[in-house]
Amino acid sequence: MENEKATPPYLEVNGLVKWFGADRAVDNISFGVERGKFLTLLGPSGCGKTTTLMSIAGLHGIDGGDIRVGDVTYTSFSKKLFLPPEKRDIGMVFQSYAIWPHMTVAQNVAYPLEIRKIDRAEIDSRVADVLRLVGLGDMADKLATQLSGGQQQRAALARAIVSRPRLLLFDEPLSNLDLKLREQMRVELKRIQNEVGITSVYVTHDQSEALVMSDEIIVMSKGRIEQKGGPHEIYAHPVNRYVSNFIGVANLLEGHVIRVTSPGHGEFEVNHGNERVILPCCLGEGLKEGAAAVLSVRPENVEARRKDPGTPRLEGEVLEAIFLGNCVDCRVRWGAFEWKVLAHPRDRLRPGERVFLHLDPDHSLAVQP
Amino acid sequence: MRTEAAAVTLAGAPRSIGRWRSLFTQESIATIAVSLIVAAAVLLPLATLVVSSFRVLDDLGFSTTWGLDNYRLLFTDHVIPGAFVNTLLISTGSMVLATVLGVSLAWINARTNCPWREKLEPFNLIPFFLSPFVGAIAWHNLAAPKTGLINALARNTLGIEGHLLNVDNIYGVIWVTGIFFTPLVYLFVVGSLRRMDPSLEDSARTTGAGLLRTTLTVTLPLVAPGILSGAIIVFVTSAGEFGVPFKLGAPYGVETLTTQIFTKAVGDDANYYLGASMSMALGAITAFFIFVQQRYIAPRSFTTVTGKGFRPNVVDLGRWKWLALGLNLAFILVAVVLPIFCLVVVSLHPVWEGEIILSDITFRNYVKTLAFWRTDSISAATNGIFNSFILSFAGASIAMVLSLVVSYMIHRTKGFGSRMLDLLCVIPIGFPGIVLAMGVLVTYIKTPIYATLWILLLGYITRFFPYGQRNISSVMLAISEELDQSSRMAGASWITTLRRITIPLLKPGIFAGWLLLFIIFLRELSISIILYTSGTETLSVGVYYLANFENESLTSALSVAQTVVLLACIVIFRRMAGREALTA
Ligand SMILES: Nc1ncnc2c1ncn2[C@@H]1O[C@H](COP(=O)(O)OP(=O)(O)O)[C@@H](O)[C@H]1O
Ligand SMILES: [Mg+2]
Repeated sequence: MENEKATPPYLEVNGLVKWFGADRAVDNISFGVERGKFLTLLGPSGCGKTTTLMSIAGLHGIDGGDIRVGDVTYTSFSKKLFLPPEKRDIGMVFQSYAIWPHMTVAQNVAYPLEIRKIDRAEIDSRVADVLRLVGLGDMADKLATQLSGGQQQRAALARAIVSRPRLLLFDEPLSNLDLKLREQMRVELKRIQNEVGITSVYVTHDQSEALVMSDEIIVMSKGRIEQKGGPHEIYAHPVNRYVSNFIGVANLLEGHVIRVTSPGHGEFEVNHGNERVILPCCLGEGLKEGAAAVLSVRPENVEARRKDPGTPRLEGEVLEAIFLGNCVDCRVRWGAFEWKVLAHPRDRLRPGERVFLHLDPDHSLAVQP
Repeated sequence: MRTEAAAVTLAGAPRSIGRWRSLFTQESIATIAVSLIVAAAVLLPLATLVVSSFRVLDDLGFSTTWGLDNYRLLFTDHVIPGAFVNTLLISTGSMVLATVLGVSLAWINARTNCPWREKLEPFNLIPFFLSPFVGAIAWHNLAAPKTGLINALARNTLGIEGHLLNVDNIYGVIWVTGIFFTPLVYLFVVGSLRRMDPSLEDSARTTGAGLLRTTLTVTLPLVAPGILSGAIIVFVTSAGEFGVPFKLGAPYGVETLTTQIFTKAVGDDANYYLGASMSMALGAITAFFIFVQQRYIAPRSFTTVTGKGFRPNVVDLGRWKWLALGLNLAFILVAVVLPIFCLVVVSLHPVWEGEIILSDITFRNYVKTLAFWRTDSISAATNGIFNSFILSFAGASIAMVLSLVVSYMIHRTKGFGSRMLDLLCVIPIGFPGIVLAMGVLVTYIKTPIYATLWILLLGYITRFFPYGQRNISSVMLAISEELDQSSRMAGASWITTLRRITIPLLKPGIFAGWLLLFIIFLRELSISIILYTSGTETLSVGVYYLANFENESLTSALSVAQTVVLLACIVIFRRMAGREALTA
């Protein structure tokens, strides 16, 4: 983090603003990506991910901010600079793949090279190379309409990387594939990106995709950045309720921080019916004594025991226990609250049973509401 | 900072930082230029028409003053108010006839087990492509009181005194207009009947509703916007139709607004300013109905019908299917077979007096109208053939280029310009050809393009390019914008993208639109009749000339020639465009 100032990131988006009519689709967001890294913009539909990507691509103008890659300014609102999209040297993979149906696979992939007036022999060898890289070596002469969804996806990727652009942009490229293929393509796509080493910005609403593929993740909501960090950091240390809820599954309890015991640690109080329960926990950034907060606990960090542990005493009733093979997905009623608990199969929890919940204080995190 | 891998790319493309030139990119220069051209072409004639309608010609016909006299005359003239009423009667009558026939035929073809449906459908559409003016000429030859073929046959075989049928009156005008515009309703309705999700009807049936009840409570309301759209289009098109009332109405005292505008545009007592005010009145009616149709009815017909290729529910008509077949065959008989047959018969006689005389049969009429190299040929006809081919070819080509650029602007660029263009493209549809032609006439009469083919070309393109634009737009809507965008991202400029990606993908739409315009231009009458001068006659003007100054036989010969060319175009059109390409 500190040396960011010493060497500026390769792609830098600064104070980006984009309006659609009276609608602020992107609201003053800034981020950077190191050369060769894979950044994911993650957020629900309509939060401004595509708009951000299109702004980088130059497919529309912007209403504020600057975008720079290396030493080339792509767009600068204040300096009134705008590089047309075709001059930006970007490879882009669209949600619909956008493989041109009137050309063969090889013609599709050769197109960016033809535009760059590279000679035929080199085009042919580079197209062949890249088709082999994405696993379409024997599909070169097929028409785009003869390809399956997954193959079109690969062809689109080949077309995006064949000119070795400065930047790769992906707009939900896997969302039209079925689940099996999607999981397979995640790994493949990441492998190919590693191999070609092109700095990438990836847009998705699928949090597991983001966790698997990214070097860094930006969680967005309503045109703003909620949190930026590595997959592990985002998962383990969400800054607020929104991020915690969006990434993975979490039990979210509303309450207050009543005491700071040591830096980063403290006690959290929840109202449970008439009684007040005090839970030791870790404290997220900026939480002071008395602050309203949300306690976020992942289901795998909640343990359901049959023995009474004393205090804090969280006694509940198992509502549902779904056997998933390596674990049991349980719901435990605790007053008006329902806990999500991942239990070990050997515990053999049954619906209707009374259990005591044990929270690991090191994995219970109080965050901004 | 950059390593080699990135630096080898984009050979030749400037590395430099581009200036903020959003006002001067290829794309925006083209948008602005095209918007200005379209705006000028569409708005200038209409604006001039409005201005002209307030200029009053003095009694000597030399000087003008400003005033409302032209509008006063609309109510006080001894012919115009009647023409107004006749126009409304004819439009209403044609609308009712075309709607009843069009909906029945569409339902029979889309939803029943009527025999030979696939074979008959193309014939139902033929009148759409032919000239209603020629239809009127044919029906005059079939059912004029004295010389009509049907009446002559009735006299000779049934011994009827006088006549059986008479189309030389307002009912004849309604009859011919109605049957020739039936395909318009048919096309609007048959698409929604075919594409309707059958489960909508099935779910009504499962609740216990019978067939009749389901049809009335589910099917009919779902296709109602289509029916209403078709009916309005027929009303408006009939109101602007010139050829049919000119042939079957005006000579027998049934004047309409179009025939009156015509007399004010040509001839000795021409008064463009009065013609302009009548055009304003006619244009106000048609523009209002088109506005209602476009704004409130057309959008609804899409929400009810899904685009998926369903297999629609088919009703078993039992023995009634022979009645349905009879109705369909009867329509084809009166709208296609009888008129064409009659034209051919008449064209083969030196003069037509109502009787087929085999010993008289001759091709002389064809020689006189088609053999341009002979000195005894009629120049209005031979000129017309040449001019119409030139105009149709050039007009369709220019209009499609314009349509392509306009569609692109509307669907691929955002903001004020594209919304303006969208609006501009609807305006010409709201005004009949004869009204727009009056506008073009008063606008350009003092310029060098008057009395050349250019003014006709301008009139044709202005009035009809929206049809081409719609054809392209419907294809463009089906093509994802990402296909264009990915070409830009691959490094191609806007122009290169248009040339290598967009246009190749739009080819089917471009061709269908081109051929449709070619056909429309080849039979165009109501614009041509206002804008032609001696030497710039068109095919339909040639037919008009022969009908007015020569005899029925020569007229029929040229009509047959025009019909043959149009029929050939239909065959090509169906080959290339598929059967539902017309519904846009
Ligand atoms: N071309 C556009 N015109 C108007 N509004 C748009 C346009 N594109 C996106 N928006 C609006 O901007 C917001 C963000 O959209 P988008 O960036 O596409 O979201 P995401 O990709 O995260 O789903 C949404 O509210 C959307 O309705
Ligand atoms: Mg999106």
